[in-house]
Amino acid sequence: MSNSREEILHTIRRGLKGASSEETTVERNFLSEAEEVQNLTKELHSNLKAQFIEELTNVNTNVAELENEENINKALLNLIKKKELKSFSIWESEFLKEINLKEDLKNAGLKLITAKNKNKIANSDIGITEVDYAIADTGTLVLLTNKNQPRSVSLLPPIHLAIVRQENLVRNIKDLFIILKSKLQNVEDITSCMTFITGPSRTADIELNLTLGVHGPKELIVVIV
Amino acid sequence: MGFEEVRFEKNSDKAIQNKPLQKALVNVTDRFRTARNKASKEVSDWEELRSAAREIKKNTIANLDKYLIMLEEKVIKAGGIVHWAKDAHEASQIIVKIANDRGVKLVVKSKSMATEEIELNSSFEDAGIKVVETDLGEYIIQLAGEHPSHIIAPAIHKTKDDISALFSEKLGVPHYEKPEELTKVARERLRSEFLNADMGVSGANFAVAETGTIVIVENEGNARLTTTVPKIHVALVGIEKLIPKYEDLSLFLSILARSATGQKSSTYVSFITGPKGPTDIDGPEEFHLVLLDNGRSGILASEETRESLYCIRCGACLNICPVYRHVGGHSYGGAYSGPIGAIITPQLMGIDKASELPFASSLCGACHDVCPVKIDFPKVLLELRKNVVESKKLGINSGKDLIEKLGIRFWRFTVEYESIYKITNKLSYYLQIPWKRSSGKLNALPYPFSRWTDQRDFPSVAKKTFRERWKEIKAETG
Repeated sequence: MSNSREEILHTIRRGLKGASSEETTVERNFLSEAEEVQNLTKELHSNLKAQFIEELTNVNTNVAELENEENINKALLNLIKKKELKSFSIWESEFLKEINLKEDLKNAGLKLITAKNKNKIANSDIGITEVDYAIADTGTLVLLTNKNQPRSVSLLPPIHLAIVRQENLVRNIKDLFIILKSKLQNVEDITSCMTFITGPSRTADIELNLTLGVHGPKELIVVIV
Repeated sequence: MGFEEVRFEKNSDKAIQNKPLQKALVNVTDRFRTARNKASKEVSDWEELRSAAREIKKNTIANLDKYLIMLEEKVIKAGGIVHWAKDAHEASQIIVKIANDRGVKLVVKSKSMATEEIELNSSFEDAGIKVVETDLGEYIIQLAGEHPSHIIAPAIHKTKDDISALFSEKLGVPHYEKPEELTKVARERLRSEFLNADMGVSGANFAVAETGTIVIVENEGNARLTTTVPKIHVALVGIEKLIPKYEDLSLFLSILARSATGQKSSTYVSFITGPKGPTDIDGPEEFHLVLLDNGRSGILASEETRESLYCIRCGACLNICPVYRHVGGHSYGGAYSGPIGAIITPQLMGIDKASELPFASSLCGACHDVCPVKIDFPKVLLELRKNVVESKKLGINSGKDLIEKLGIRFWRFTVEYESIYKITNKLSYYLQIPWKRSSGKLNALPYPFSRWTDQRDFPSVAKKTFRERWKEIKAETG
């Protein structure tokens, strides 16, 4: 197998005939670029939110806006009751722990299902996550995996509910990668899995008919606080 | 590639007779083309983005050895295992061995052109391992025992009724009529496959050298399931998929979704670096990256055709191509179709195995205009045509080539002398009369001209030449 490695690299080098390394690399300071981007974003806040909501609506996402964080649990409980859901899975991110949503849902009689068992979480009625970032001009949610934020919660249950805090909005994908890169001083710190989500799961494979929920969640609900 | 010699002319004859296919091809190409045009116009600096993307790809390919080593190092650091495969056979062997060594019985796959290229499914089946395609279009194709016909919409040649009959026959479900019902059947079937699978195989749209991250773009969520649920994840990635830096992704993701389907962003993009982290709750325990050469490093040696490796597989060139629009994906043989298939298949398989493909183009250049990395298709096609002609010089001239050669010699003779040109013009006006239709077109000429009229009409020769008419008009208008 290592023979193939050497063979491939050798063929490449022979093919390039020493044409390699003509690159001009510009060293960028992502820390200062990120600071600049974040200042610009702050100025735009209400505009960004309006744009984000419009883009979400364009990709078949249900959006709810909440005035403040105090009534968030109540609002979510109402929503869940209306849908007659019986079980839920949830991230243990700092903000979600802070608002105590997990306990409130349990107290309301919903069964908590953890992501540890794939067969169980596949039968959970709703997955609740926060987002690490949200991209305004495409309506995209950005989710990072870590010990409190498993991947399956936004993937296996038929409904995904994502809570977006306004401070996590960025203008566009270009800004997002500047911010991500600025936090990546040590490349080893990169998450095992980052996911972009733009709307519910969709396909057009049968005669180009748009059908939602082919593999991932059929319904995506975004709550902005 | 394990594919047989590509017989483009024969395949396309068949495709043109297939009425439902013709209708489906018009629908899919119209839809995607219109969406792409709209999406690209919404971006004010679209042309700058294309140039920037091309520049990055050009630099990457010109330093490919360096970036491959960097990628390998980062993937290993993230806890992944890297394999190098010089050809299709070795790649299949590596992947089947990973499965066998771990007692894998069921494999789920997300859409990957590279696995089509190496015909991985048949290697799994030979080894007695069940493999299930999970992209809805690919699932349909697998049940039907066929090959994909479009990079983005693999089952576009199948109608709703075809699929209904297929599901009913193969899955034992009632004849459903609505796409929603058929989709639901597939969702339920495939969910249980995902939950029981021992291994997931994916491709990748990009591989980032500086972080060791592979990026997968999709709309359905089956690639997320493939790379999350089973214990082992194997990604097969062509060595040309590299990009150097993490932040380069913002540019490439922006142009890929818009060029492919006209979406501002695809529904899901997964950025995977190694297996699950030590404290992660879910995700695969093992991550294998298989780097596939299979002829790519050879393409790199020719400066004239090297840019074929810049392709990001968006499919925009298929949707705009007047040839693809009529002949469909299967005519191109191999895994890749449309203009990109016409340039890449002969280079991957060897020019002798796909010598008709470089000629499967009118050289109109529409593909060049839409390509997000500005591949100069006409230039590459001409270079490949030259190679075909040169490779034939070494062999025995067929009768077909001889007639073409004599024909071109005769044509040169007539246009070199004005008097002869005039005479042949007049002569052909009278000679054509027996074949001229009331429409003014010629549609059934004798051999060798039938090679043209079998496939399209030929305009008849006018009574007066342009020069004669010019003189007349000038005289009339003074």
